[in-house]
Parts: sequence; structure tokens; C-alpha cells
Amino acid sequence: MKTKTEVKRQAILNAAAEVFREMGFERASMSDIRARTGGSKATLYNYFPSKEKLFFEVMHKAKAGELEEIVGGLNPEAEDFKQQLLDFGKNLLVVLYSPEAMAIRHLTIAESRHSDIGKLSFEQAAAPIESRVADFLRRGMKRRAIRTADPKIAAMHLLSLLESELMQRFLLGMLDPVKPETITSAVRRAVEVFISGYARR
Amino acid sequence: MQVNKSDIKRQAILETAYRLFRVQGFDKTSMDEITAQVGGSKSTVYSHFPSKEGLFVECMMAALENYMSGTLKYLDASRADPRAALLNFGSSVLKFICSPEQLEVRRLIIAEAARSGTGKLFFGKLSALRVKLSAFLAECMASGKLRHDDPDLAAEQLGAMLEAEMLEPLLLQVREGSPDEQEIALAAQRAVATFLRAYAPNSPQERQSRSGRAAKSSVRSAE
Repeated sequence: MKTKTEVKRQAILNAAAEVFREMGFERASMSDIRARTGGSKATLYNYFPSKEKLFFEVMHKAKAGELEEIVGGLNPEAEDFKQQLLDFGKNLLVVLYSPEAMAIRHLTIAESRHSDIGKLSFEQAAAPIESRVADFLRRGMKRRAIRTADPKIAAMHLLSLLESELMQRFLLGMLDPVKPETITSAVRRAVEVFISGYARR
Repeated sequence: MQVNKSDIKRQAILETAYRLFRVQGFDKTSMDEITAQVGGSKSTVYSHFPSKEGLFVECMMAALENYMSGTLKYLDASRADPRAALLNFGSSVLKFICSPEQLEVRRLIIAEAARSGTGKLFFGKLSALRVKLSAFLAECMASGKLRHDDPDLAAEQLGAMLEAEMLEPLLLQVREGSPDEQEIALAAQRAVATFLRAYAPNSPQERQSRSGRAAKSSVRSAE
């Protein structure tokens, strides 16, 4: 019983994903999850010391794959630079502002007070996205689509602009499910300001 | 004298509550415990703060409100020179929000917002402050120093860019220690420079953005 196996771990993750989806994070309990996987509560805790850790693991894995795909879609060779940013921004916000992703981010910030979840999340999700966007912008600068500047800073400006209309409401738990058309228009405003802020003179 | 005494009591409640909330979190802190530590009766505490939620918001926002009056002066100072005003304002805002204490407060606010329904109260307080920045930008637009657009949107964008370089790693405890003055000044400079380029008067984007204003998102207009 002390040896952890990948099969068992995966079974727990699958069961937890179901339970979280059906009940939401708040209502779901470790007992609900244990009831689906069988075995003792001690075994479950042996794999995942808390509901938070388990939730993070389940949700983060799922979203990390989607985010990876979105960032991978940025094509520095594409003709229309602005269109690339619009598409990227929209895809990114659709994932980030899905109810599951909002729940993970909320939890991540709350939990970073007393665990390394915040750090994990930053290193596994935020930092890679930022650096891939910076790569894309660096190429855009070389092709003279935008002015030359520090691409890393430009990436941070772009990402913050994309979220500027939604972030505060989301962090304060006041954002209802976001409609696709809301995202489309917020992204358009953000990309326009980014492009004119980084326009060549 | 009586008013004064009452103010002192109120201040003592705020300070005690602030300390307890920060150490124990919202759920584990009770009005009883706050009363016990401040001294006096529970009804006195309730006469100042009718609910735990209200007290939580007040004490978390007290530092912000004290500091904002100083920072907002930068916006009054020089409407003739938006760049200087925004740089001073931006550095001052960053210095405040990147302090370890304010980061901790912010985490706590975010952690509780969704659960205890305090988010709306915080949002109201923060919006009042954002309105001042928005009013400053509106004046700059009216006097032709910035191009015409939605000043609320511009204020949100400027706020987001100011925080862009450092807030997330600090909030998630990825980096330790606060940024120094030099780092803060540079971040503010880059954010303000990008913002002013984007909102420069008579830029080719102007017409486009004006037409974009009509199609405001439902999030913004739903308020």
C-alpha cells in the first residue's frame, strides 16, 4: 500500500476530474473522490495531500495542453501580423476565462499564500506562454511589423492588455461566464492599443 | 471628545481585525475574537461594523485609501504634462502594490472574494479610485493631449500595463523581495511610454478606435 503506482495515480486523477466537473471545487470532497476510486482515504491522501493539490493537478494538466496548442498556433511567418494577434488573443481568453480555468487561477493565487502552487503554475503555464509570445514578437520586430523594443516586455504588455477588461472582475469573483462576443471585442480593443503602442514611427 | 473616542475605538477595531484576518484568514476569524482582543462589548464592535464582511473590506482597504490620497495628487499636479503626471502616478502605484504587505492583502482579498461575497464590496471601492484616473485621462482627451476614446477603457489598459511586468510573479510568490525604485521607475516608464504612443492625438488609429467605441462589450456596459 505504500508503493505509489502511476496507474493508481491516474485513476485518482480521472475520478477527481469527474467529481470536480459534476460538483464544482467547493462542494466536492476527498470522500466523494475516494468513493469513486475505492481504497482507503489514507491511500488517497498518500497520493495527494489535499483537495487543492489534487484539483490543481487535474485542472492544470488539462488546461496546460490547451494553452500549449494556442501558443503553438502563433505563426511568425504569417502575412497578417495583426490577425495573428487577434486569433491568438481570442483563443487564449476563451481558455483562460472558461469556468474551470478561472477556478484554477483563483485557487492558485489563494493557495500561493501557503504553498508552492503559485510558483509551479507560473513556471509551467505563465512563463512558457510569455516566452513563446516574446519569440513571436521578436520575429515581428525583425520583419518590421512593429517597432524594435524588448520583446519580453512587449509580450507582458500584450498579455496584460488582453486581460485588462476582465481580470479585475474575475479576480474579485464578479465575472459571469464570459460570452464569446465579449472576448472578441475586448481582444480587438487590446490588440489595437498594442499595435499602435508598438507601431513604427 | 466623544467623537474622538469613537474614532479611536474604530481605529483599534480596524487594526485588530486587520492583524487577525492576515494571520488566520477570513473564515477562522470571528467577530467574537476581534471583540475579545479589542476589549469592550460586541455591540460596540457591531455599531461600528455591522458585518464581518464589511469589516474585512474596510480594514483591507484602509491602507489603500490612505495611500491613494497621496498618489492622486500627482494627477492633480500637472495636467499640462500628462507624461510627467502619469510617470509619477504610475511609480507611486507600483511601489504601493508591490510592497510585501499589499501583496499579502491582495492575495487575501482574492482568496475571499469568491467565497464570502466580499468581491462586490472591494470592486466598488477600487472602481471609485479608477474613476479618478479615468477623469484625468478624459481631461487630457478633451484638451487634445490624448486622442479621443473611452477614458474608462484607457484607464483599465494603463492600469494593466503598469502591473504587467511584475505583479504576477510577486503575487504567486515566484520572486521574493520587492522591486527597488529603479526597477519600478523603469516599468512605469515603459508602460506609460507605450500607453502614450497608443493614445497619441491624431494617430492613424484614431478613426478606427472611435468607431470601435460604439461596440462596447457587454461586460463593460453590464455594470
